[in-house]
This record gives sequence, structure tokens and C-alpha cells, in this order.
Amino acid sequence: MSASPAAPPLLAIRRLRAAYGKIEALKGVDVEINAGEIVALIGANGAGKSTLMMTIFGKPRARAGRIEFDGEDITGVPTHEIARLRIAQSPEGRRIFPRMSVAENLQMGADATDCNEAERAAGLERVFTLFPRLKERIAQRGGTLSGGEQQMLAIGRALMSRPRLLMLDEPSLGLAPLIARQIFDAIRTLNRRDGLTVLIVEQNANHALKLAHRGYVMVNGLITLAGTGAELLQRPEIRAAYLEGGRHG
Amino acid sequence: MSATKARPSHAAQPLGSASILKKASISALVALVLFSLMIGVRTEAGPQGGLIYWTRFGELAAMVAAVFGGSIVIELLRQWWGPVDKDRVVPKPVQAAFAFVGRWLAPALLVFTFLVPVIFYDQRYILDLAILVLTYVMLGWGLNVVVGLAGLLDLGYVAFYAVGAYSYALLATNFGLSFWVCLPLAGILAAFWGILLGFPVLRLRGDYLAIVTLAFGEIIRLVIINWQSLTGGPNGVSGIPRPTLFGIPLTAGDDGLAARLGIEFSPTHRVVFLFYVILALALLTNWVTIRLRRLPIGRAWEALREDEVACRALGINTTTTKLTAFATGAMFGGFAGAFFATRQGFISPESFTFQESALVLAIVVLGGMGSQLGVALAALTMIGGFELFRGFDQYRMLVFGVAMVLLMIWRPRGLIGHRSPTVFLERNQAISSDLVKEGHG
Repeated sequence: MSASPAAPPLLAIRRLRAAYGKIEALKGVDVEINAGEIVALIGANGAGKSTLMMTIFGKPRARAGRIEFDGEDITGVPTHEIARLRIAQSPEGRRIFPRMSVAENLQMGADATDCNEAERAAGLERVFTLFPRLKERIAQRGGTLSGGEQQMLAIGRALMSRPRLLMLDEPSLGLAPLIARQIFDAIRTLNRRDGLTVLIVEQNANHALKLAHRGYVMVNGLITLAGTGAELLQRPEIRAAYLEGGRHG
Repeated sequence: MSATKARPSHAAQPLGSASILKKASISALVALVLFSLMIGVRTEAGPQGGLIYWTRFGELAAMVAAVFGGSIVIELLRQWWGPVDKDRVVPKPVQAAFAFVGRWLAPALLVFTFLVPVIFYDQRYILDLAILVLTYVMLGWGLNVVVGLAGLLDLGYVAFYAVGAYSYALLATNFGLSFWVCLPLAGILAAFWGILLGFPVLRLRGDYLAIVTLAFGEIIRLVIINWQSLTGGPNGVSGIPRPTLFGIPLTAGDDGLAARLGIEFSPTHRVVFLFYVILALALLTNWVTIRLRRLPIGRAWEALREDEVACRALGINTTTTKLTAFATGAMFGGFAGAFFATRQGFISPESFTFQESALVLAIVVLGGMGSQLGVALAALTMIGGFELFRGFDQYRMLVFGVAMVLLMIWRPRGLIGHRSPTVFLERNQAISSDLVKEGHG
């Protein structure tokens, strides 16, 4: 299931810089994600977490540095081709297609990688086992789903492209704690059962670090701390900044 | 139609008959107060210069009754068109009748359209009007790809209509090419211009896109006016050949269709022929659009309309998606333009003003963006309605303005705002029908 420790990382980011106009959002970021692990990226608002995820996807383009996926340099690869390498993304704010049905939303995920009918059916089966609720809602328009169901749909849609790396941007955003836990449980299941590699960007540091094998803490466009999830949870500065009321402060 | 499952999300409570009556009474009361002086009392300057007045209680009562009845009707219509999972005052049989009409409307319309030349053979005016309506149906369906499916607001659609018309007119008059050779060429040229327009506007959305496309439409028109050596400028192109039936002209001559079939020649033959040509072209547009909607490219268009950022996250190439939408829409515009040129026999820049773009866009928006049947109905109402109200002369714009405002209030998404999904599960994964119904809105 998980790769041997000697194997090169699935995703390696070296000294990555990116900017929106003159505002530098990433100031030389190093992140490694090994095959089969869940990596959490935590940090305050505006730290550059989402930008990092978007830069991996090619928008904004990296100003400097290197992104390697499976040993291959993907730094300058256009966005639509990155999806073909089977890196999938569930963007911030879910962004499902509101007027399209649940089935169509899922199909949109499958369209990105030209999969055959059997793969499509298998993908649907996997999504429905993970989120039975989506199967109940299959013909409903995406916009009529609840927030939690929409998040399930966003993850399901990303899964339909049979990703090797799944990137989730704030999956617990705006969800009731119980629903958020369901989402995190589903991510854990995907990782344990299918060996899926996951990069999860979260403000909910407690949940994310408990879920993740390893974590990175990002402040002002730089990685300031790295370690296993359990280690980071013990660090006093993490506890002060992100766990004990720091989330809203 | 009523949902069997209780869903908590709807805040609006269904209105019972009591509250409808109450609402109507209040409206009637307001009308009574308003109109009692405006209508109920009529004043005029008397012969001695003094004010004389008389009462008109009959008219006042009629007015108030109209308001009372009208508000009940409106409320019932609102319920009918409102969210699906409401209890309705309209009785079940009436609802069933509406559903029946809804299901059979499109096939019935299609059959009727096929029979129009048979039914109205002697009425040249109706045939001409039907051809005009079908031309706008086709234009509406073409623009529907760009605006309705891909969600790219295009205010310069008439440019492609013009490109198609001039392509055919110039190719036919200069090189003697036949309509059937020029038709695909006109489509290709228009599609080419569609891509040409597409490139600079790739990064634009909404208002900005609308402005650039508006300018594009004007540029094409101005080029046509000013490039006198090619297009004839404001004088237009005349003597455009009529279409032939596989090389057989529809004329009174010895080699004409009538002579060959051994029937008496009638100018109506050509009108009927033109009718079926535009009907075939329009149906082709419809068929291609329906097919494309079920393919990844069509789904990508619709997804693009919904959320461009999500499209990129899913690895959709937004550049090619937008360009294909522009090109496909433009191609159908070009076909329609070529038909327009061959029907008129004469074209000039006056036929390709912004008003045409606005009219076609209005048809798409009124019809319900993305709905094929809705667009056809809207074209019928707009173009047919224009003719119907010809007697009202200067009031007809007013009537249409009011009608459009009212329609947009009651049906903000157009006549047929519901879009039918294109992806279904395999039969073995089928689910119960009440769940399927639930999502419709």
C-alpha cells in the first residue's frame, strides 16, 4: 500500500515562489509528499496555503523553484494537462456546478481523464460506497444539496478522475462539526483502504493534524514548521496559535 | 408532482385558497381607492367654464373586479410555476393536464411545423412569416450554444449572420457557386470569425465580454459598409441566386421543377421549398446541439457557465472550450445567414444591425437559457407577436416591453427555465422515481 521509505516522494516542491502581481504569496516553499500518506498544510488566513495548492495546479504560474510529480518536472505544465497526470483538486468553497445534477457533476470529474465505461462505473461505485448520501441525491441539482453534501460531491467529483494525488482545500469550511468529522473519516478511509495520497489544506488544525501522517505549518508564504501530525499537535506554539482559540484570533 | 418526502429547506409556505382570496381582496381594495377618483369620477370643464363632473361606477366596478380576478389568476400561476414540492390549490387533474401538454408540446409543434405549408398553402403571408420565425428559431438555437450553454454573453451575434450572408452572396455572384456548395463554406467562414472573436475575449467575462462582442458586431457591419469594392457598401449585394433542388431550379422555365414534374408552375413552390430548407437547417442545429450536450465538450460548456474556476480545477481546457462554443454558435449563425441571403436575393448592411443581435439574444433569454423548446417558443412569440401587433403600430414596442418585464418577473429563468440532465445512471443503479422528481425545479 504505502511506498517504501527509500522511494522518491510522489510530489516534491523545491524553493517554490509565486506571486499575484507584486504581492509575493510563496517565498520559497519546500514540501514533500510521499506516496500513500496524508499531509496537512495548516496556517492562518493569507499564509499562502491555497496559493501553494493552486500553484501546483499551474495557476498562478511559479515564479521560481521546481515542482516534481513522480520524478517528472511539472512546473510549467498548463493546468488542464496537470489533471491528466491524475492530480485532482477539490477547490476551496467546494465549487460544485449548481445547476447540474449530482450525476453530471461526478461525470465532469471523469471527463478530465479519458476513462472507459468500466472505470467510470468503478469510480461511481467507489464514490457511492464512500458517500451513500450522494447516491440518494443522484438526480438532484448540485445547488439544492446541503453544505456537507456539496463537500462530499466536490470530493467525489475529484475522485472520479482516479487521482494519484488528491488535494483538498479546506474541506471542513463552513460545515457543522459532525459533518466535518464525516468528511475527515472519509478521507482517512480513502487513504487506508485505497492507499490514496492526500494533501489537505486546513484552518481546522486540530482535525487536520490528527488525520495527517505529517504536517507543515505555513506563515507568510514560508514553511515555518514541519513534522508528523502528532509531533506538531504537541508543539506549544501550534497549540497557542491554531488550537486554543487561536483559530478565530 | 408533489414530493413525498418532507424537506425542511423551503421557507415559503404554500398559500391556501383563503390567503389567496385575502391577497386578492387587498389588491382589489387598493384598486378601489386608486381608481375611485381616477375612473369613478370624471371631471371636465363645463360650457360656462365651471367644473362639471359625473360618476362612472360601472367602469370602476369592472376595473376592481378585473384586479381581483387577475390577482387570483396570477397567484395560481405563480404556484403552478413555483417550486415543485409545494401543495397547490390548482386541482390535480389540471396539473396533470399541464404535465401532459408539457410532454407533448414539442412533438406536436414539430408535426404542426411540418404541416404548415400544407395547411397554409394558399396563404403566402403566413408561409413567409413561418420562414422568418424559423430563421429566428435557428439563430436562437445557434446563439443558445454560446449564451445558453457556455454562458458567454454575446451581443454581436449578428456579425456571424452577416458573415454567412455575405459569404454566400459574394461566392455565388462572383464565382457562380451554388447554394449547397456555399452553405458549408459560409458556416466554416463564420466559425473562423467566431474563433477570431474568441481569442481576444478569452480572459473576459460577463459585462466586459458583452462590450467586446457588441463592438465586434459593429466592426463587421462597418467593414461591410466601407469595403465598397468587395461588398458594394451600403448598396448591398443584389441578384443573389435562389437555391436549387439538387441542381433543378424552381422556376417557370422548361428545365424548372414544375415543368419536369409536369405540374403547373406556381411561385409558391419556391416558398414551400425555402420553408423546408430552413426547417431542415434549424432541426440540424437542434440535433447537433442536443448531441453535443451529451458529449464531454457539451458538458464542459455547461460547466463553464456554472463555474470557471471549478472547470480549471477539473482539468478542463477553458481556452478550447470557449473557442469551440464561439465557433459552433457562429457556424450556425453563418448557415442562417446564407439562407437569409438566398431567400432575400438581396442583402445590405441594414439587415445586420445591433437590433438583430438584441432580438436574438432576447429570444434566448426569454426562452430560458439552454432550453431548446423554450427558444423555439420565444422565437414564435417574439417574431409572430411582432406581426400580430402590427396594427398597434407605435404601441407594439411598448406592449413587448411590458410583456418582457412581466415574463422576467414571473419566470426569471425564461419560459422554460428547467434544464434536463444529460448523465444518467445505468439501469441497474436506477433509483426510485420520487427522488428523481425531487430535484426538478
